[in-house]
Amino acid sequence: MADTDKALEELEDLFAAARSARPGMPAHLNTAILADAARAQAGFSAARPARAVRQPKWRQLVEAIGGWPAMGGLAAASAAGLWIGMAPPSFVPDPVVLAGYEESGSVFADDSYDMALMLSEDLQ
Amino acid sequence: MSAAAEEASDDALMVLYANGDGRAAAELTARLGPRVFGVAMRVMGNRTDAEDVTQEAMLRLWKMAPQWRPGEAQVSTWLYRVAMNLCIDRKRRARGGHADLDAVPEPPDPCRSAAEQMQDGARQDALQAALMQLPERQRQAVVLRHLEELSNPEIAGIMDISVEAVESLTARGKRALAAALAGRREELGYSDG
Repeated sequence: MADTDKALEELEDLFAAARSARPGMPAHLNTAILADAARAQAGFSAARPARAVRQPKWRQLVEAIGGWPAMGGLAAASAAGLWIGMAPPSFVPDPVVLAGYEESGSVFADDSYDMALMLSEDLQ
Repeated sequence: MSAAAEEASDDALMVLYANGDGRAAAELTARLGPRVFGVAMRVMGNRTDAEDVTQEAMLRLWKMAPQWRPGEAQVSTWLYRVAMNLCIDRKRRARGGHADLDAVPEPPDPCRSAAEQMQDGARQDALQAALMQLPERQRQAVVLRHLEELSNPEIAGIMDISVEAVESLTARGKRALAAALAGRREELGYSDG
């Protein structure tokens, strides 16, 4: 048992010595690895600009917004807003009133005003 | 090399490299190349194979950089895994159904300097020879645990086995190494005291 412990202890010393004397990577291997890296990287950069250059401005804008699904949503929301603005449903307050203007009655203040009466006066 | 590249994580360097930053490749090579080479040297037992394994593992790293997803895995773990698989493939090809090279201790390197032939050098040669007598997976586990000082969960990820299997492999590997070296204690300058 003691022999085993001693052998394992000596083995730990050998491991420690091996860790402190790691073999260095040869310079020619370092050069070869960096040359491989440059070649592989040139392949990436050759493919990337081709994709970017062919992209028209309008397509970049569509993609910036979120693509065709987002464009569809934007168009539907715009159409609904226009419709509500032109013909508001009954439960929506009239924007003219909200803006502080009176009904058309304010233009024609006199309720008794009658187009027929006016015409008849003119004829007299 | 810029200070920014030196401070960046391996993950960030992978992204920089994929985006065309040439300094990122140099920094990744400086960080990871020697570690992979060191492990490959211990596992393969010779410089030529270790160099081939290191270059091939790094080449695979470069090629997959555009698909790298930061935060999903450690770059070093991925690279060790590739290197270990390359080592196994090479050993299998080398065996080719003939003699098991794992069972043959490496001959001493004739290019070693006089200083390296001193006692420390002899002990390290003895350790390497004993490592080469271990079965492939035991050797990988022992090298990753005791020479690279990786954690058991990380080794489990690299070797695609459970943590318990890693513990078993390293324990058996250490016992086998101790037994292999026991007969050379006197030769290696270990006293009984």
